[in-house]
Amino acid sequence: MRKLFLLLLGIVMLSGQVLAQSRTVVGKVTDANGIPVANASILVKGSNIGTTSGEDGSFSLNIPEYARVLVISAVGMASQEISIGNRGLFNVSLSADDRDLQEVVVVGYGTAVKRKEYTGNIANVKGDAVSNRPVQSFEHSLGGRAPGVQIVTPTGVLNAPAVFRVRGTNSISLSSQPLIVVDGIPMYSGDASATSIVAANALSSINPNDIESIDIAKDAAASAIYGSRAANGVIFVTTKKGKAGRPKVNYDTWYSWSKAQNLPKLLDAFQYTEFKNQSLKNAGSYNETPGSENYFALTDGPDGQPINTNWYDYVYRTGFSHSSSLSLSGGNESTRYYTSVSYTDQEGIIRRNDFKRLAATMNIEHKINKVLSMGTKIQYANEKNLGAVSTGSLGDAFSTAGLGRVPLVTAPNISPYNNDGSYNYSGALIGVMNNKQGQVGFNNPVIQLDKNRGNVDVSRLLGNAFIQLKPIRQVTFRSQYSIDYLAADNEVYYHPISGEGFADGGNASSAYSQNRRWVWSNTLQFDEQFGENHNLGLLVGTEQQKSNNKSYGINRIGVVDPDFTNIQGGWRTPNVTAMGIGENYILSYFGRFTYNYARKYHLSANIRRDGASHLGKNNRWGTFWGVSAGWDIDKEGFFENAGLSKVFSSMRLRGSYGKVGNIDGLGQYASLSLYGSSLYAGNGTFVFNQAGNDDLGWETSTKTDIGINFGMFNDRLTAEVSYYNNDVNDLILAVPAPPSAGLPSTIPTNIGALYNRGVEIALGGTPIQKKDFSWTANFNVTFNKNEVTSLAPGVDNILAATGGLESPSITVVGESLGMLFVTRTAGVDPATGRRIFINADGRKVYFQHIVPAGSGGARFMYEDGSVAPTVSAADAVVYKNTIPKWYGGFDNTFRFKNFELNTLFTFQGGNYIYWGTYAGLRDQRFWNNSVDVLRAWTKPGDITDMPKSYFGDNVSNGSSFPLDINVFKGDFIKLRTVTLAYNLPSAVLTKVKINNVRFHITANNLWIGTKYPGPDPEVSTNGTGNINQGIDRNSVGNARAISVGLNVGF
Amino acid sequence: MKKQLLYTLLAGSLLTACNKDDLEQIPSNQVEYSVSFDNPVRVLGQVNGLYGTIKNAGLYGGRYQIFNDIRGGDFMNDRTNVVTGFDIWNYTPSNSSANSVQAIWSRAYYAINLANVFLSGMDTKGTEVVGETLANNYKAEARFIRAICYHALLTLYARPYWDGNGSKLGVPLRLTPNTGSGNYDLARSTVAEVYNQILEDLNYAEQNLPASYSSATLNTTRAHKNTAIAFKVRVYLAMQRYQDVITEANKLVPATAPFVAPSGVPHQLQDDVRSIYTTYTTTESILSMPFSDNEAPGTQNQLGYYYGASSMNGGNGEYSLLSTGIVSSPDWPATDDRRSLITTVGTRQYVNKYPKGSPFTDWAPVIRYAEVLLSLAEAITRSTNTVDDRAIALLNAVRQRSDASVTFTAGDFANAAELADAILTERRIEFLAEGLAGFDLTRLGLPLPAKASVSAVQPSQQEYIWPISSTELLLNKLCVDN
Repeated sequence: MRKLFLLLLGIVMLSGQVLAQSRTVVGKVTDANGIPVANASILVKGSNIGTTSGEDGSFSLNIPEYARVLVISAVGMASQEISIGNRGLFNVSLSADDRDLQEVVVVGYGTAVKRKEYTGNIANVKGDAVSNRPVQSFEHSLGGRAPGVQIVTPTGVLNAPAVFRVRGTNSISLSSQPLIVVDGIPMYSGDASATSIVAANALSSINPNDIESIDIAKDAAASAIYGSRAANGVIFVTTKKGKAGRPKVNYDTWYSWSKAQNLPKLLDAFQYTEFKNQSLKNAGSYNETPGSENYFALTDGPDGQPINTNWYDYVYRTGFSHSSSLSLSGGNESTRYYTSVSYTDQEGIIRRNDFKRLAATMNIEHKINKVLSMGTKIQYANEKNLGAVSTGSLGDAFSTAGLGRVPLVTAPNISPYNNDGSYNYSGALIGVMNNKQGQVGFNNPVIQLDKNRGNVDVSRLLGNAFIQLKPIRQVTFRSQYSIDYLAADNEVYYHPISGEGFADGGNASSAYSQNRRWVWSNTLQFDEQFGENHNLGLLVGTEQQKSNNKSYGINRIGVVDPDFTNIQGGWRTPNVTAMGIGENYILSYFGRFTYNYARKYHLSANIRRDGASHLGKNNRWGTFWGVSAGWDIDKEGFFENAGLSKVFSSMRLRGSYGKVGNIDGLGQYASLSLYGSSLYAGNGTFVFNQAGNDDLGWETSTKTDIGINFGMFNDRLTAEVSYYNNDVNDLILAVPAPPSAGLPSTIPTNIGALYNRGVEIALGGTPIQKKDFSWTANFNVTFNKNEVTSLAPGVDNILAATGGLESPSITVVGESLGMLFVTRTAGVDPATGRRIFINADGRKVYFQHIVPAGSGGARFMYEDGSVAPTVSAADAVVYKNTIPKWYGGFDNTFRFKNFELNTLFTFQGGNYIYWGTYAGLRDQRFWNNSVDVLRAWTKPGDITDMPKSYFGDNVSNGSSFPLDINVFKGDFIKLRTVTLAYNLPSAVLTKVKINNVRFHITANNLWIGTKYPGPDPEVSTNGTGNINQGIDRNSVGNARAISVGLNVGF
Repeated sequence: MKKQLLYTLLAGSLLTACNKDDLEQIPSNQVEYSVSFDNPVRVLGQVNGLYGTIKNAGLYGGRYQIFNDIRGGDFMNDRTNVVTGFDIWNYTPSNSSANSVQAIWSRAYYAINLANVFLSGMDTKGTEVVGETLANNYKAEARFIRAICYHALLTLYARPYWDGNGSKLGVPLRLTPNTGSGNYDLARSTVAEVYNQILEDLNYAEQNLPASYSSATLNTTRAHKNTAIAFKVRVYLAMQRYQDVITEANKLVPATAPFVAPSGVPHQLQDDVRSIYTTYTTTESILSMPFSDNEAPGTQNQLGYYYGASSMNGGNGEYSLLSTGIVSSPDWPATDDRRSLITTVGTRQYVNKYPKGSPFTDWAPVIRYAEVLLSLAEAITRSTNTVDDRAIALLNAVRQRSDASVTFTAGDFANAAELADAILTERRIEFLAEGLAGFDLTRLGLPLPAKASVSAVQPSQQEYIWPISSTELLLNKLCVDN
C-alpha cells in the first residue's frame, strides 16, 4: 500500500510540470445529412475538459496545449476522435448509431468505460427496459434482458423481492442474490418486512424511472473490485444525471389493471356436498342419526337457493394501479442537476394488498475549478406496503389464514355471511352452517379482509456526497461518503371477533426496525497514454462500511375495547417482540490496473483485500482478485488479409479468471458461541443458544470466463458467446448435527463446494432498417449446469422445509441444489382403488386410509396382502431438479413510422416444480378439492389417477408427506411484456413546443406457454431461498396486467 | 506545485484512514461462551435456563403432556390438524412428523446437552465461582433435568421396559458436552442402560439437591430432594420394579394417613382438588412449569388452547372428551369435585383444568403428590398381589379428597387385579389432561385403545411406540428406526 502510494506520488510530481497555456478551438457538429447536432459532447481526450454543442451544433472550447485529440460524441451517434494538430476549426460530421462503439459500462468506483475497451463480462440494460412497468421494483423487469441473468417473480403479492440469480445459484446458506450498488452505495437489499403479511422489497425504494442504466458484472474481472461480495455478481445501478444544455422536464404516468390467472377449478357446492358425503360413506362414518350426525349438507341462502360460494370472488380482485413521475434535469458546463418526484399507488390482485410509494431524488454536481469538483445526491422514499392477513406466499405456506389457500380449502356450500347478513363464524373458524361437521374451513376470509391489518411502512434515505480532485490531468482523487438509512414500521392487527385474533381476544403488534449504513470510499485514479499505443489506468482505494441495526416492538393481546385497533389502545398484555441490535464493519483495500496496447490488446487486473467483523477471528481477512485479457482480432492486419473482415465486421476474444467472495446473508455474530438470556419463573436465565466457529471465513468463488464477440454485416448482427465456470468453495454450511447431539444451533463451517458452469449466447440484430420501418431483435439464452460437489463430511444431504411443515427439498452431492425429495407412487390399483406407494426398498405398498372392520387388512399392505411398514417421508427419494437448465429471453422491437411495438418473451426449462398446492386440492379432509377428484376410483376396473376417496385421507394425496404425483415439469415460455407505443410526430410537437409525447399500452404476463398445471410456473413459495426453490405451495400466483401510459417531455 | 503536493498528501491520508478495531464486534445483548461461568449470576442463570429449556417449545411445558394424553382413549381430535397432534392421536405419526416426533426428540436432547455443557463447565470454572455447596446443588439439578428428559424420550421412542426386560433399543445415551463440530454418530443404548443412567442421575440428585427452597414458587419450579424421589417413583413404575417404587415412595408417604411428606418440602394433597389449577404452588404440586404473561407458552404449545373450547377460554377446542372414554365411566360419579373441572359446550365436553385465556398461562403440571400416592398403591398391589389395606387407604385418600361419598373397602375388590384396575381408573380420572395416559398404557403393556374411527394398537405393533426422528436417522448413521 505504502509503496504504491510513493510510486503514485512520484508520477504526480513528474507530471506536475505539464500544465501550461491554452487556446480556443471552435466548430460545428452535424449528422450525416448536415443537420446540426445539439448537445454533442466535445471532450479533450484523457481529461475532463470539454463542452457541449449548442442548438445549432456549434461549440467553442478552451483547450490546453497538451491536448492532442478531441473526442466528439452524441446520443445515437458514433463518437469520433480527431487529432487537433494546429487546427482551430473543427466541422465534424457524426455518423448514425454504432451501438457497439457507443456503449458504456459502469465498472465500479466512479468509473464508466466504453464497452469496446472493457474485457470483463458485464451486461448492460438501459433504463428504458425497466421504466413505466406495472411492477414495484426495477429488478422484476430484468428477466430475459441479459444473458446469465435470471429473474423469478415469486408471487403475486406486491413487492416481494425477485429471485435474482446471476449465472446460477452460488450459495447454499448465504444469499445467492447479487450485490446491488446504486451510485456507489452497496445498498440494503432483501425484504425489509418483519411480517409475513406483506413484503417490503428494499430495492423498491428506487423509482425505476430514475434509472439511467443497469450494469451486471458477471465474471471475476468485472466484479472483483467488489471482491468480498461479488460471488453472486454485482449490479451497478446508475441513476439519471443532468446533462449540460437546456433544462428538460419529463412527465411519465401509467394506469394498470391486474388480475389473477389460471386459478385451479374447484368443486362447487353441489359437487362438494355429494363428493364429501360419498367419502364419508366410503370411510364408513357417514351418519344421519340425530346426536351423532356426520355428513355434509347444503344450506339455503337468503334468496332461498342453496349457497354456492366461489371463494375466489371474495379474496381476489382486479387491482387498479397508477404511477406518475416528474423529473427536471439540466445543467451547464460546470453544474449539472437532476431531480424527480414520483408517486405510485398499486393494488394487488389480493384484496387489501396495496403498495404506495412516494419518492424524491435530487443530485447535483459542480465543477468548482479545474482541480476541484463536488456533488451530492439525496434520495428519499416512503413506501406503504399494505395488507390484511397472510397470503401464505411469503414463507408461511401453511398459514390457516393464508389468502392463497383459504379459497381452495373452504367449503363452497357455506357463505361468509349468515342469512341475516352477519358474519358466519364459530370461534376462530368459519361456521359450518348445515354441514354436520366440526369444521369445514379455516378462517372466514371476509372477516379477515374486513377487520385485520398488516402494514409495513418503509422510510428510506439514500445519499452521498463526493469531492473530486484532479490536481493534474492524469490523476483523479475521489472521496465519497454515502449513507443508506432504512427504517421499517411494522404493524399487525387482528380483530378479536374470529380468525387470527380470536384466541388472543384481539392481537396487535408494532415493531420498528432501523438499518443504518455508511460507506466511505477513497480512490486515486491514474490514467495516461504513453506514446501512441500504450494506455494505462491505475486505481487504488480504500473503503469502510459500517452497518448498524436495531429493532424493537411490542405485542399486545386481549383488547379492552374492540374499537382499539392499535397497540396504543388498552390491552391486557405488554409483551416485547422483534428485539434486535447489532453492528458490523467491513474494511477494504483495493486496486485496479488496466492497460491496452493500441486498443487492440487489453489487460486488466483487480485486487481487493477485505476484513469483515462477521467472520471468525482466525479467518477475518480475504484477498480477492481478477484478471482479464482481450484481443481485438479485427484490428490485426491478417484479419483483413485473410478476408475475414468481409464476413465479420468486428471480432474480439476475451477471457478472465479470478477469485471473489461472499458473506451476504451471514449473521453478523455467526462466528461466536453465545448464551442468550430469558426468564424462568421470573428469574433470569442463560441458555447456550448459538454454537460458533472461530475459523469461519469467506465463501469463495473462482470464476473463469472465456468469450468471443463478433459482428457481421457491419454489425447489423452481433453475437456474444461466453463459457463460464464458477467454482464455489468454502461454502458456509450450517452443518447439521444429529438432533441427539443437542447442539443449540447448526455450526457455520466453510466446507461445501459447488459449481455453476455454462454457456451464454446473446444475439442481437437489426434485420430490417428502413426509413419508416425497422425491426431490432435481441435473443439470449443461458445453459447452466449446477452441481453440488461436496457437503460436510458425514452430511450426505441437507433437507429444506417449506412453510415449516414439510420438507420436499434436498441437497445432495452430485446433483443440483434443492432437488425434490418425494416418496414415489405407482398409480392407483384398478382392483381396489388404493394408492400404491413405492417404499424405500422399492416394493409396492398398497394404502387404504380406513381398514374395513373385520377385513383383517392393514392400512399399508404389500401386493401379496401381507402387512407392510408404514410408508412415510422416510421412503422419499432424490427425485428431480428444480434449478432450470436453460433460460433466456427474446426481445423484439418493431418501429413503423411513429409506432413502436416491443415484445419480450422469457423462457426457462429443464426444471421441475413441486406443486404442493395440488396435494391440498385432493386432500380428503373437509377441504374443498380440485374438480380432478371427480375422477376418483369408484368400482373395480376403474383406471384413474385418483384413489378411492376416504374421508380424512391426507396420506394418499401428498398432504401428509410429499409425493411424486405432485411434481410437474416447469418448462415455460412467457410473453412477459408486450408494449405498443405511439410517438406524436415532431411536426405536431414543435408547434406546441414539446419535445416528445408518447402513448403506450403494455400487457404483462399476457400469455404463458407451459404444461405446468398450476397457476404459474414462475413461482417461489420460499422466496429467494437457495435450496428450496421450485416449490409452489399455497402461493398466490403472478398477476396478468394491462397498462396504459403517457410520457411527455418538454 | 505545493498545492498539488498538498492535495496528494490529503488524498493519501484519506486512503489510509480506517479503524481495524471495529472488526472486533460482539453483541450487546448476549453473553459470549467463554465468559458464561464468570460470575454467580450467570451460573444460576444457566440452571434456570435448563428448566426454561424443558419448559419452552413444547416439552414439559405442555406438548409432552398432551401427546401422552391423546395416546390414551379419553380424548377426541376435533381439528384433524397434524400440527396439533392429529397423527399422534390416531397412532400414525411418521419419522418426519415435525411437531411431535421431531420436535420432542430435538428438544429433549437440547436440554440434555445443555445439562452436559453445564456439568462440564461447573467442573472447569463454575464450582470455583459459586463454591462447593451451591455447585453440588446446581449439578444435581442439571442431572435431574437430564434424567427426566431421558425418561420422556424412553416413554415415547422406546419399547417399554417389560418388553425383554429393558433389552430392546432405547435411545442414544449422551453424557458429554457438545459445543462444536464433530462426529456425532452414536448408536442407541438399550432401554435398561438408559434407565440405569436415569436412576444414577436421580440418585445423585436426591443426595445433592437441597431439601427445600426459600419460597413456594421455587419449591414448585425447581427440583429439590423430594422432586428427585418422586421421579424415581415414576421411573421405577415404568420399569415395573415395584419394590423400588415402594422404597422410594415410602420416603415421601408415611405408613398411614395423614399422608404428608415427612422430610423436605411437606408435600400433601390439597383439600380441594380444584385449587391446584388456580394456585399453582401448593405443596401438592411437586414440579410444574411456570407461565406468565411475560413467559407465555407460545403458539400451539398451550394446554389451555388444546383442551379449552372457544367459549371457555378462547381455546381452539383441539380435543374434547370422548364419550367412550373415562368421562362416561360409572366409576366416576357426579358427586366428584373433579367432574366440576369438565365443561360442556354444545354436545361436547371439555377439560377445564386450564381456564386462563390467551396467552394461556396456566402452569403445566409435571408431577403431583397424588401420583406418588397412587403409584405407591399400585406398586403395593402388584408386588404383593393382594388387596392391601394401605393400598386402599392411598386410593381413598385421592378419591375422598374429591368425593367424600365414595369409600373403597377391601370388600369392593375380588382380587388384586381388580384393585389395580381401580387404581388405574383413579389415575385416568385424577390426571386427565395431565400427561399420564399414554405412559400408563405402555408401561403395563396395555393396547392403545380404539376410539372413534381409529383402531386399537396392540403392544406388539410397530405403531405402539413412536418412530425415530427422520433427521436423526439421516444424520446419525448408527441410529436405527423403531
